[in-house]
Amino acid sequence: MTPFKRTGILIGIIFAAGFYAFLNRPLPPPPGDSPLIKIDDQGQSLAIWSGPWSCVYDTRTGLLWEVKTDTEDIHHSTWTFSWFLSGRGTENQGDCYFEAKRCDTTDLLTRVNQKKLCGSGDWRLPTSAELLSLVSQDVLPGEALIDKDFFPQVQRGDYWTSEAEQELAPIYRHLGTGALVVNFSDGTANSLPYRNAAFVMLVSDTHKISKK
Amino acid sequence: MKKPFSWVLLHSTLILIAVISLLSGLRIATLSYPQLLTVSALLPQGLMHRWHLTSAAFFSAIVIGYVFYLALFRRAARRQWRHRDAYHRAVEWFGYSTIAGLLCTGVGLYFFSQPFWKTLHFVAALLLLIYILLHAIIYLLQYGINILPAIVNFSSVALSKNIMVSVAFLGIAGGFYFLYLQRNFYSLPVAQVETDEFFEIDGIADEAGWQNAVTVSVPTFGGANFIDGATSVRIKAVTHHEDIFFHITWQDPTQSLAHLPLLKTEQGWRIIQDGFHHFNERSHYEDKFAVILADTCAPGAAGTAHLGHKPLKDKPAHWTGKGYHYAGAGQMVDLWHWKAVRTNDMFLADDNFIGEPDIARPGSRRYTAGYMPDGKDSGSYVMNWDWYKADRVIPKRLPKNPAELAGYELQKNSSTLNWVIPWFSYEPYSETKDTYPVGTIMPSVIYTSNQFEGDRADVRARAQWSDGIWSLEMARKLDTGSPNDILIKDGICLWVAAFDHAQIEHTRHARPIKLVLKR
Repeated sequence: MTPFKRTGILIGIIFAAGFYAFLNRPLPPPPGDSPLIKIDDQGQSLAIWSGPWSCVYDTRTGLLWEVKTDTEDIHHSTWTFSWFLSGRGTENQGDCYFEAKRCDTTDLLTRVNQKKLCGSGDWRLPTSAELLSLVSQDVLPGEALIDKDFFPQVQRGDYWTSEAEQELAPIYRHLGTGALVVNFSDGTANSLPYRNAAFVMLVSDTHKISKK
Repeated sequence: MKKPFSWVLLHSTLILIAVISLLSGLRIATLSYPQLLTVSALLPQGLMHRWHLTSAAFFSAIVIGYVFYLALFRRAARRQWRHRDAYHRAVEWFGYSTIAGLLCTGVGLYFFSQPFWKTLHFVAALLLLIYILLHAIIYLLQYGINILPAIVNFSSVALSKNIMVSVAFLGIAGGFYFLYLQRNFYSLPVAQVETDEFFEIDGIADEAGWQNAVTVSVPTFGGANFIDGATSVRIKAVTHHEDIFFHITWQDPTQSLAHLPLLKTEQGWRIIQDGFHHFNERSHYEDKFAVILADTCAPGAAGTAHLGHKPLKDKPAHWTGKGYHYAGAGQMVDLWHWKAVRTNDMFLADDNFIGEPDIARPGSRRYTAGYMPDGKDSGSYVMNWDWYKADRVIPKRLPKNPAELAGYELQKNSSTLNWVIPWFSYEPYSETKDTYPVGTIMPSVIYTSNQFEGDRADVRARAQWSDGIWSLEMARKLDTGSPNDILIKDGICLWVAAFDHAQIEHTRHARPIKLVLKR
C-alpha cells in the first residue's frame, strides 16, 4: 500500500471519528416514562416535566388523585381534618384556614367537589388499598414514601381513608371505633379515632385523559 | 533492526500511557474548556482523576527509566539516532521537550494548583497530540503497519542491563504511584481544647481556642467567576473531643446574595438567570462553599467525581456534560454545603452526602446521581415560584407590605437587603395584589421555618464577608450517629470547593487534606 493510500485511510478514519462524535454529541437528557400523569386544574394532561398541575392520574389503577399545595388554598398540604362523613365521625377537629370553624373531611370534600377540581365532581376519600398503591420505597432519605416529583407536598404523616368502623388500639378503645389511615412515613395502615387530626388526599374514579 | 528489550518495554508502555493520559486528561479538561465536549463521545468517562494520576506515575517513571536506558545502552541509542532522518530527529527533540513540559506542568498543577499551571498543562497536552501526529502517524503513513513489528521486536542481548532498566522502571513507577495516589496530601492538625471552651459559630474566629490551631493554605482553581478561576482556601480546625470546629476563609471579590431574583416584566414575573435552565447558573446565584469528608483519600473527591456526559450507562445524561458525583457500592462520603442565602441565616450548612447512584426518577428534570441531602424532620427553604418556567413564573407569595421591595433593583447584592423571605412576612400570590411596576425585583428564597430539623441540620455554620474575604465557621459532632454522616477521626480526608455566584462550577484541588486528630 502506498503512503498516498494510507493517507486516504487516515483521513477517512479522522472523518469517521468526527462523524461518530457528532452523532453521539452530548444532548440534554430526554424525559422518561412514568405511570403517573400530571393533570391541570381543567382536567387536561400535561407533559411529564410541565406544570403546575392540580391532579395526578395513575394509569396503573385508573384513579385520579388530588395534589396538595403549599399556597394556603383549600389543598394546602398541612391542613388537617377530623374524620366526618355522612353524619358519622367527629366534626371540625382539624385545622385549616378556609373554614370559619375548624375542619373535617366533609368540609374538604364539599369544597373540592363544588370546585370540580380537574373537571371531576365525584371526589371521595380513598380506600386504604388505593392509598397504599401510592406508597413507594424508592424515595430520598427522610422523604414521605411517595413519588415526590408528582406529589411534592405530601407529608410524612397519616392520611385518612374511607374505611370507618375500625377497631382502635387499646389506648383509644374507650372512644369506640375509628377510621383507617395510611402513614406515608412508614407505609402502613392503622386505625385512628375519628376526632384525630390527619391529612387528606382525595381521589376520583372518573377521568378521561385529554391532552393539552 | 531489533531493539533492546528495555527500549521496547519503555516505548510500548509510553504508547499505552500517552493514550490513557491524553484521553483522561482531555476529559478532565472539559471541566475548564467546555469546547472539548464537541468530541466528548471520543473521550472516556468515569474516574478520570485516578486514571490520569496512574498514567502520570508511569509517565514519570518512563522518563527516568529512559535516562537509565540511555546511560546503559549508549551505543544502541546512538545507532538508533543515526538511523533516523533529519525530520524524525527534529520531531524527536520536539517530543522530548513536550514530554518534559507535560511532566513539569503536571507536577506544578498537582502540587501548587495554580491556574496558570492548568493552562500550561493543557497546552503541553495539545503539543503531545501534535507530537503523536508528527511522530507515530507519519511513521505509520511511511511504513504502514509494517512499522509495528519493528517497535516490538527485541533482541535478547545484554540481559542483565535490560533487567536493570526494566526493574528500575517498574520500581520507580510503583514509587510514583504510591506518591501520587497514596501519600500526597496536605496535613491539617486539629488543635485540642478543653471541653468547656466556648466557640460561637458566627463566622469570626476570635475565640481563644483558635489561637493554637495551625492554618493550612490550599490553592484551588477551575471555578467560575473567581479571578482567573482561582481562590486560596485557608483552613484550620479545633476539637474538644465531642465536636470539631473549622474556620475557613477564601478570597471572593464580590459578596453574591441575589439568588435567582424575580423581575417584574410586561408579561409578568420571570427569573433573572444565566444558565439555570440547564442547571448551570453562572451569574445570578448565591456564593457557596462545600466540604467533602471521607474515609478514603482516593483522588477525584474521594473517588466520587465521575466525569463525562453519561458516566452511568443506565442513568440520565448530565445536562452540561461535566459528570456526576457518586460513590461505589456500599460507600458514602459526607458533604457539607454552606449557602450564603439559603442556609447562612439558618446558621447551618446543608448536611448532604454522596452515596451510590440514585435511581432515575422520570418526573425529575435534574438527576444528581449520588449527591443527596440527609433526611430532615421539618423546616426548609423553597423558591418563590409555583412552578419553574424559563420565560415566566407565578410567585408563590407577595410581600404583605409592598414597600419591602423598595431598593432591590438599585442595590443588587447589598447585604443591607434581606435576600431571604420569611414565610409570614409574605402572603399567598393573587393577581389583584400583584400591582408591582415593571422593573420590580423580588428575592426568591423563602424560609418556611428558621432552620432544618433532623439529620440535615447536623452542621452548624455561619459566614461573614468582608473586604473580599468570606470567613466561615462550621461545627459538627465528631459522631452524629447518622448513617449518612461519617465519623470524624484521625486520617479522614477532606476536599474543599468554593463557588462564586455559580451553581455547579466550583473550584477544586488535586491533593486531599488529611486530618491529624490525636485523642
